Amino acid sequence: MNYSMIFKVLGYLLLIIALSMVAPFLIAFSVGQSDAIPFAISIGLTALTGFLLSRLPTSEKKKILTKEGMAIVTFGWIFASFFGALPFYLSGSIPSFVDAFFETVSGFTTTGATIIDDIEVLPMGILFWRSFTHWIGGMGILVVAVAIVPIMGSGAFHVFKAESPGPITDRIAPKIMDTAKILYTTYIVITLTEFVLLMFGGMTPFESAIHTFGTLGTGGFSTRNGSVGAFDNSYIYIVISIFMIMSGANFSLYYSMFKGKWRDVFTNSELRLYLTIITGSVLAISISTFGDVYVSFFDAFTHALFQVSSLITTTGYTTFDYEQWSTFSQMILFTLMFVGGSAGSTGGSIKVVRILALIKLIQREITKMLHPRAVVSVKFGNQPVSEDTLLHIAGFFMLYILIFIFGSVLISLEGIGILGATSSVAATLGNIGPGFGFVGPTHTYSGFSDASKLLLSFFMLLGRLELFTVIALLTPRFWRT
Amino acid sequence: MKVMIIGAGKLGTKLATAMLNGEINVTIVDNNPKILERIKTHMDVLTVNENGAKMEVLEELNISSYDLTIAVTSSDETNMVISSMVKKLGCKRSVARVRNPDYSNQLDFIKSHFNIDHVINPELATANEIMRYLMENYTFYFGGYAKGKVSLVNFDIKNLPDFVNKPLKEVKGLDDLVIVAIQRNGDIIIPHGNTILMENDIIYIMGHRQNINVIANMLKTPTNKKTLKKVMILGGGKIGFYLATALIERGIHVKIIEADLDRCKELADKLHGDAIVIHGEGTDINLLEEESLADMDAFIGVTGLDEINLFMSLRAKQLDIGKIIAKISRQSYVHIVEKLGINMAINSVNITASDILKYIRGGKVVSVSLLLDGQAEVTEIIASKKLSILDKPIKELNLPKGIIIGSIVHKGKVIIPNGDSRIQAGDRIVVFSLLSEVPALETFFKLKDGR
Repeated sequence: MNYSMIFKVLGYLLLIIALSMVAPFLIAFSVGQSDAIPFAISIGLTALTGFLLSRLPTSEKKKILTKEGMAIVTFGWIFASFFGALPFYLSGSIPSFVDAFFETVSGFTTTGATIIDDIEVLPMGILFWRSFTHWIGGMGILVVAVAIVPIMGSGAFHVFKAESPGPITDRIAPKIMDTAKILYTTYIVITLTEFVLLMFGGMTPFESAIHTFGTLGTGGFSTRNGSVGAFDNSYIYIVISIFMIMSGANFSLYYSMFKGKWRDVFTNSELRLYLTIITGSVLAISISTFGDVYVSFFDAFTHALFQVSSLITTTGYTTFDYEQWSTFSQMILFTLMFVGGSAGSTGGSIKVVRILALIKLIQREITKMLHPRAVVSVKFGNQPVSEDTLLHIAGFFMLYILIFIFGSVLISLEGIGILGATSSVAATLGNIGPGFGFVGPTHTYSGFSDASKLLLSFFMLLGRLELFTVIALLTPRFWRT
Repeated sequence: MKVMIIGAGKLGTKLATAMLNGEINVTIVDNNPKILERIKTHMDVLTVNENGAKMEVLEELNISSYDLTIAVTSSDETNMVISSMVKKLGCKRSVARVRNPDYSNQLDFIKSHFNIDHVINPELATANEIMRYLMENYTFYFGGYAKGKVSLVNFDIKNLPDFVNKPLKEVKGLDDLVIVAIQRNGDIIIPHGNTILMENDIIYIMGHRQNINVIANMLKTPTNKKTLKKVMILGGGKIGFYLATALIERGIHVKIIEADLDRCKELADKLHGDAIVIHGEGTDINLLEEESLADMDAFIGVTGLDEINLFMSLRAKQLDIGKIIAKISRQSYVHIVEKLGINMAINSVNITASDILKYIRGGKVVSVSLLLDGQAEVTEIIASKKLSILDKPIKELNLPKGIIIGSIVHKGKVIIPNGDSRIQAGDRIVVFSLLSEVPALETFFKLKDGR
């Protein structure tokens, strides 16, 4: 293990985090609220630590390999959350440091689970920082480092691979740095588009920015206690729904569109399954809630569209207390929490591409039952998937379910009912945010004990870094040389 | 005309044999002395024991005096290099065999890039031929001529009891059709009005496609009526792959049996859609039956071994499968096969040789098919103004007995000629001829220099 190199990279990462705190500082300073000084202190502390770490002398053989990549990513996220929590704690917005840490992890991992019961009293700088972590975390904190800092060289791919969502990591451009730049450009263009469209809907520039960050990162932090539902505006519901669906799709597809390769987009089997699941769920819920909860079909449809998009993309915004819906509709939403966005999107959870692979694996097993000597290859579109990848996906699914079950058992010690225990684990592991029961859309995570908050933070990190990266770090074999 | 054939495999030898009937001087180059020794004793050709890709060899043979080079060595890349080189060295035209499926989509580019005049892919051609047969309802279909207006088909006389033991002139239902040949016990007979049809004859009929369709409908057996839905292909080689791809495109379910596991995986990766690849030996009858051989609409045996193709086709025949095709490379088996009732014994060497011959005849000749294991061919010619036989009644032309003008397409109309018909400039003529009469055919139509 090349420790000095790892800390050096983490140093650069902290400098970037310090830099990103400048925006909320400027907002706090310009409106003259009390959080300006805490931000200045946080920036100072973060930048100083980052600067000292980045000055660390590195050994001759300064190589970043798979192990270093995994360590950088895991510790990078923990460091970022630790220093990112400073403004919340120092400004007194969140008096407990554990709570502040939970809130920051929830922000960076784009979960959107909050422990703040009344958001509307928070100062603007804090609100901005809280949502800005979504936007940074959505694309991956270290992707930025990869794109800006050239020190990692060929090791960049290991970092990129350990952080990017989905089982298959594709490069769009021959160089990892260029790939990261293309993805970020796409990200920024979509961000600006939504920002403008939300302002047309009557949001203030500040609120529009906050909700754009929450949508693009599939996070879910809002400025209102009633989430997006507080705006009571169908235009806003539909715009946010569309951008949530866009953020849950593979970002490299937008690059294909930009390059005019529409065929690649239309024949993408993951995208097709993703859109099929959304369409089916929206129709089922609108029919189920129409007449029962809503008087007009349009209302039933817009709320169903919003809530389905919100949960499948793991955003976690709400327009309505969906616990008033039929059990059938709630069950669909609960199931969607285990689907998640596409690979290469900002969405979390299991990911559509893995679900697709699992469906095809099952189909293959059935074919093999009927034709014992058949040789069948699993394909996405016309692209065969290697046996290694399939095994990895099956292993991922197993591990995900195991963590979900054991996590729920641990959380059940809180005595919050089965629904609360299971859905809080599903909602943090899948980076969604709101769940059902104890953590339903009208509740927050403030009722948990500190131990549970740390455990749930750990689940958020596990889910965001796709289990294996973090789990591998916990095995003794990782640290043996 | 001087032709150089590089590579004395099955195809090279076959081509040499077919060409010797015309007035063509053939040189065969190969680096295997044993094969050349055998060829020398059988055929009147010049054999050179050398590597045909060597420039000094080609120059020593005075390559610039040749009209055509055909590169049919076992390597695609060598063939391309040779065909390109000989053009640079002054040979007038070149033909290369390229059979790798990865190249099958870029043959045109290869032609222009390497300056090769013609590229042949025997497996693709064979698969296309099988496809054409599968998609038609005839007992046997040889192909269309004159842009599909004229067809040639063969029928087993058994299916036409009215025809048996009658002289041709008394047979009814053949208006505007010509029986160009009769196959009896493996021999070819060119019929005339008094020829009597016998029970086991196979007749070759040529005529306007619509009229052929009328006859074909009379003959349809019940199995032919149902459309093709399920096909089993034995052998996942190149032919099997091309065939499966073409069938899947038409929405037909394909089952491929292949013995090599790695090849199975490759096929499973490359075939998209309704196909299933089964790993197993072709001789494993239990496996074939477990994979519901009996429910198939067609069975196609295209493994590398004639014997497996043959035996499994016979098993398929017992199970009463509608269409059965077997690839038979060895000439001597072909007669047996057709007697055993397999619908079509396909020979990729013959198909490829037809393709190349058509190319050699060049300009005026539109298509050539080798029939009856190369004993006869059908040639399609566009009559040029300079032709000496223009505007004369056919009966005055003194055509040899082995040449039959099957159809004349005059201004888009199909005419079945009688003795008084005349050929006019611009007509398309479809001619059936025995291979032994091909030189005579060439003098009649002045095809000698080929351009």
